[in-house]
Amino acid sequence: MNRHTLTVASLCGLLLMLVFISYAVDVRVFTRIATTLCINVVMVVGLQSFMGNTGILSFAHIGFMGVGAYTSALLTIPAQMRGMALPDLYPFMEGLSASPILAIFLGGIVAAVVAAAVSYPLMRLSDAAAVITSFALLVVLHTVMLHWSEVTNGPRTLFGLPAITSLPLTAIVAAGAIAVALMFKESRLGILARATRDDETAARAMGINTPRVRWLAFILSALLAGIGGGLWGHFVGSFSPKAFYLKETFVILGMLVIGGPGTITGAVLGVFIVTAAFESLRTLEVVLNSAQIFSGQVVGFTEIVLAFSMIAVLALRPGGLVPTREIGDAIVGLIRKRKG
Amino acid sequence: MTELIQFVIDVLALGGAYALMALGLVIVYGILKLVNFAYGELIMVAGYTLFLMDGTGLPWLVMAAVAVLMSIFFGVATDYVAFRPVRAKSVTAVLITSFAFSTILQNAALLFISPRARNIPLPDVFSTTVTIGGAVTPLRNLLTIAATIVMLTLFTWLMRRSILGIAMRAAATNFTMARMLGVPANLIISSAFAISGLLAGVVSLFWLGRIGSVVPGIGLEPLLVAFIATVIGGMRSVPGAVLGGFLLALIDTSLNHILPQDLLKFRDAFTFSFVILILLWKPDGLIKGPASGQRT
Amino acid sequence: MIEITNLDVRYGAIRAIKDVSLNVQQGELVTVLGANGAGKSTLMLTIAGALKAAGGKITFDGRDVTAATPEKMVRYGIAMVPETRDVFPDLTVVENLRLGAYLHRSDKAGVMADMEKVKDLFPRLREREIQAAGTLSGGEQQMLVIARALMSRPKVLLLDEPSLGLAPTVVDQIFEMIRELKATGITILLVEQNATKALQVADRAYVMQLGEVVVQGSAEEIAGSSDLSALYLGG
Repeated sequence: MNRHTLTVASLCGLLLMLVFISYAVDVRVFTRIATTLCINVVMVVGLQSFMGNTGILSFAHIGFMGVGAYTSALLTIPAQMRGMALPDLYPFMEGLSASPILAIFLGGIVAAVVAAAVSYPLMRLSDAAAVITSFALLVVLHTVMLHWSEVTNGPRTLFGLPAITSLPLTAIVAAGAIAVALMFKESRLGILARATRDDETAARAMGINTPRVRWLAFILSALLAGIGGGLWGHFVGSFSPKAFYLKETFVILGMLVIGGPGTITGAVLGVFIVTAAFESLRTLEVVLNSAQIFSGQVVGFTEIVLAFSMIAVLALRPGGLVPTREIGDAIVGLIRKRKG
Repeated sequence: MTELIQFVIDVLALGGAYALMALGLVIVYGILKLVNFAYGELIMVAGYTLFLMDGTGLPWLVMAAVAVLMSIFFGVATDYVAFRPVRAKSVTAVLITSFAFSTILQNAALLFISPRARNIPLPDVFSTTVTIGGAVTPLRNLLTIAATIVMLTLFTWLMRRSILGIAMRAAATNFTMARMLGVPANLIISSAFAISGLLAGVVSLFWLGRIGSVVPGIGLEPLLVAFIATVIGGMRSVPGAVLGGFLLALIDTSLNHILPQDLLKFRDAFTFSFVILILLWKPDGLIKGPASGQRT
Repeated sequence: MIEITNLDVRYGAIRAIKDVSLNVQQGELVTVLGANGAGKSTLMLTIAGALKAAGGKITFDGRDVTAATPEKMVRYGIAMVPETRDVFPDLTVVENLRLGAYLHRSDKAGVMADMEKVKDLFPRLREREIQAAGTLSGGEQQMLVIARALMSRPKVLLLDEPSLGLAPTVVDQIFEMIRELKATGITILLVEQNATKALQVADRAYVMQLGEVVVQGSAEEIAGSSDLSALYLGG
């Protein structure tokens, strides 16, 4: 078994454990948390594919989640509800329909196409300019979602998505995302991307077409984000553009940073750790609120703790918890040590 | 003709605010190569300071001065919380920590004050209207233009004439060498953040003046403005930041007039498309920044 | 004045300077010779405070300055002119010089007087005083960085490869200047690849190879020794 297979297997094993525990415990809330966790794995692994390999921080990721979610919605909201959910919908779209699973996948495709169309000029930028522009791209995607009422119902909640997302489904998709991400990472394209990350000038001197390489990585990450969005849409059943903006960006960024942007293992681990911490803190918030210890509502406390944790991790262990070696590499290394 | 005068005043006032905003961002970026995501929150801080001081009976100018001081204070605080812990590490790390600090500030406002909009005290003189060549405009716009001129003049004097300004420009090119001449690193950095805070503080008075109230998320729009203006103007160039600010104001105001009613809400998307076009043409921004290498 | 004992400097795992000891007395011109990679610039940067020593001690006038920051070293009276000839290219010649006098910025009259003195010493700088430093030729930039270092009124001047990349006539001018500077009484530690020229102005010399001092002695001794080329070429 080579180390890549080991990595995928270990991480999938982690997901499998999660599913088993969820069935064993059989508490609705836990299953919900586990499902959300798997969706986040898809999101964060997608972000890792771009950030880890190109070294560029992208704020636009959640925007593509929205694209995927809305696309899937358009294809799956049952005909009888469509009139109510999207009163201004274009006539030619009223007949569109697809099975939810296909719709989720198509959500990813549409997100990837949008990313492909919009982002090429941005890939020529580096460092700060690239990050800032990705931030602006998020704002633009959000603005479009917020105002394109014909297609998104504007700022109002869009409802009616069939709630087909289950824990097994998300776990399978998450496993697939992990596999795809690793395949990309170890592919020629992934290696070229990392070359541009480590030394842009040298990469160019070698003839690597840096914008193109980044662009392709970006498309992959958007694809995964779109699929994640579709999954999530069918999980919550209804949402509004508010769900695809800065707060969520902060959370997935936190997961990636704390876990380690350089590795898929880090991305997955980050999701697990932050989810656990988040849920505990939320529970604490709820307890504090109902116990009326503070005069007002305790809100925003969780985010503050997450923010401080991010700063701490970056100060003390800048590469995150798993900076460079995937879990497969570590296992292989351990075996070799034992043998040698 | 009246419309033209109106247009020019709008662009100059808006451009002035945008330019000062962008300047605050560039001064930190130029010296430290760091993008400050918590920059918009300095406007939020000023706003909440005004809100909290409302009812103390102090004259507005005093309240405004305190608000600006708070911006400066939190600007310098950004250095200690978000930048110093990770300064030696990657550029990405600092982006994230400043983003985290921004979240901390916003959620602190959420937690300790309120998620709902809060009205802020404004002087009557802001809303008094003035007529110039047939165009009616709030005095506030003219005050913004005046403030921009004053701040830009002060800033230019500081950077060109004073030893601190020379030291800061030197540090922007080669920090280590500046230190080897005896320039204290920490002073330079704190000064950059303080100036950045001062600029944000002054802008906030006019920005808040336009809106009339403050919410935790109020810093996002000015941050975006500063970002875009610096990217199109040139990230390491001071004149670039100013140019970018006015250009962005020009684009925004023009689109306001040009776009048909139903497309107006997508104005930001159009602005961004313009920005992409500019970046396609000049990826490093319109004005090249100071050289960062040296001849052997 | 400067006393270095058992200095150890590392770049990560690499030991750039191994157990180096040397000293510079007041008024002397000591030169450190050696091929590329011998560790000479590392040595200078460590003395100036830009690099951290992993072991050993540096004292200046009896004071332990091993861990001092660059800002402190300037205050103690050591001025560094790095090999990379770091003028601030967007600042004018005058602005560069003014910055060199940062320590004495409150003594406006004194700084002006110093500027005149330095422009007398390097007339070419006076001709180009309002030009951006980046537009100067290599030789002029070298003069500027030396002049700028002098503005801090140092007791010791650390000169790192002043002749690097300069045409032979310009090199001669630079070394003329160094001779004149020595005559003013300032202590100089000079790192050079151009051994011949350096030994002509120096009192004493150290030769470094792969991070260690391999030979030391008076300038005449070293100049007369035939081992020099061997040491440079790693024989």
